[in-house]
Amino acid sequence: MTSARPLVIEARRLEKVYGVGRAPIVALQDISFVVQEGSFVCLVGPSGCGKSTLLQILAGLVPSTSGEILIEGAVMRKPAPDKISVMFQDATLLPWKRVIENIEFPLEIRGRKAAERRERAAAMLSLVGLAEFGERYPHELSGGMRQRVSIARALAPDPRILLMDEPFGALDEQTRIKMGHELLRIWSQTGKTIFFITHSLTEALFLSDVVLVMSHRPGRIVGVIDSGLPRPRTYDIIGSAEFGAARNRIWQLISLDDDEVAGEGMVSL
Amino acid sequence: MKPRVLVAQMSFVLLLIGAWEFGDRVGAFDRTMLPPPSEVAGALRTLLQSSEFLADASNTIVRVMAAFAIGAPIALAIGFMMGENIDLGRSLSPVFNLVLSVPQSIFLPIFVLLFGLGFTEKLIFGITHVFFVVAVNAMAAARGVPHGQIELARSFGANKLRIYRSIYLPAMAPQIVTGLRLGLIFDIIGILLAEMYASRDGLGVLLLRWGESYDVDKLMAATVLISLATILINEIMRILESRVGRWQQAAEPR
Repeated sequence: MTSARPLVIEARRLEKVYGVGRAPIVALQDISFVVQEGSFVCLVGPSGCGKSTLLQILAGLVPSTSGEILIEGAVMRKPAPDKISVMFQDATLLPWKRVIENIEFPLEIRGRKAAERRERAAAMLSLVGLAEFGERYPHELSGGMRQRVSIARALAPDPRILLMDEPFGALDEQTRIKMGHELLRIWSQTGKTIFFITHSLTEALFLSDVVLVMSHRPGRIVGVIDSGLPRPRTYDIIGSAEFGAARNRIWQLISLDDDEVAGEGMVSL
Repeated sequence: MKPRVLVAQMSFVLLLIGAWEFGDRVGAFDRTMLPPPSEVAGALRTLLQSSEFLADASNTIVRVMAAFAIGAPIALAIGFMMGENIDLGRSLSPVFNLVLSVPQSIFLPIFVLLFGLGFTEKLIFGITHVFFVVAVNAMAAARGVPHGQIELARSFGANKLRIYRSIYLPAMAPQIVTGLRLGLIFDIIGILLAEMYASRDGLGVLLLRWGESYDVDKLMAATVLISLATILINEIMRILESRVGRWQQAAEPR
């Protein structure tokens, strides 16, 4: 992943300060990084380090206090739904809409024609392997299936970039592993750029080309790990020596930075 | 509902009516105090053909509808603002809940003093009955809209109007309809009460007059008619409620 591919995301000295006044809280400090086109980048860090805030800033949902974000070279100030889709930890499917209608929702917002919407949504539904479930309601699906629908919905408007905020965090371990495989398959099939947030070091290394390591108080990037692990990946890779070495490096970056909070920060290995 | 249950319920009602008729025929009840169902049915037929009764009934209906038409939209607007604006909600909702816990009937004499005995007094009394319950439900509905769904719509580029239409409206609809149903029932209670307390016309004053003059067959006929009408209204609103909230009933037990 060292070849010079164009940069799709450039974060330049992002800073986020809450509660301007007597006791301002610095949530993010001096965050700078780049994401190459078509790459899979994970952001890992302890809970409460500002990962989600960073994602909301990248999505244009929340303004940064200072610094700027360039998406495909252009400064971004508000949500750019043509280029970016966001996936949240909770699948946030609309419970009154059928699965297929949920996938159509971003296209509906954009005023696409009904037939075109339906066709695109059906294609996305088969991509995530749920072709037969379009007429169901979200509550009829399992947690993993709901996240697949959420992926299909994020892909429906054909964005360049997927921002994912711990999308599999609420799933059980087995489903989570399966969903990781699924996501890698969809990623290689669609060629999207994925920016993925997790607090699991294993998940981060398994999925990504590059791991951005964040620490908290204030939230900042303490290291960038280019794992260089081969693709395509199977679950066996997690037991390999290279994988273990890379995981240790990340763990050290997090715990060296702040020994006393490393334990309470809930980074899962 | 299972047909067997329905049959059992209907049989129970029919049995009661039959026992009532039978009791009157064999002289077990005092016919002046409790006329048999057949006589009540006859009185009902006469009432429905009497233009005087229909005039009183339409007066009551107009009052109920006017109070609802004025009270409900204002309550929805204020309730929604209370849900959206934390400070407004914090300052007003305890007051609204306290008002709801006081029997509003005790304010009737004050209303009569303030507004006299005419249409205005009954209208305003009806509006107060509609207002609070609709407002409190609208506020709860607005507060219950999941933040994540709003963020989601924003991330896909939805503007304010689209978010209101595609997220707020469907998410709020079930509870709004619940509020409107209760508001309408409270409205009917308020208007009938105001008419019974002091009025020149309307169904409430008829009930009172017939009671005082021992016109028990007419009294019962009107009582049955009003009961059936309110049951019908309530059931129609309940059907509407379950229609707009179908997704909710299915989704919530999880």
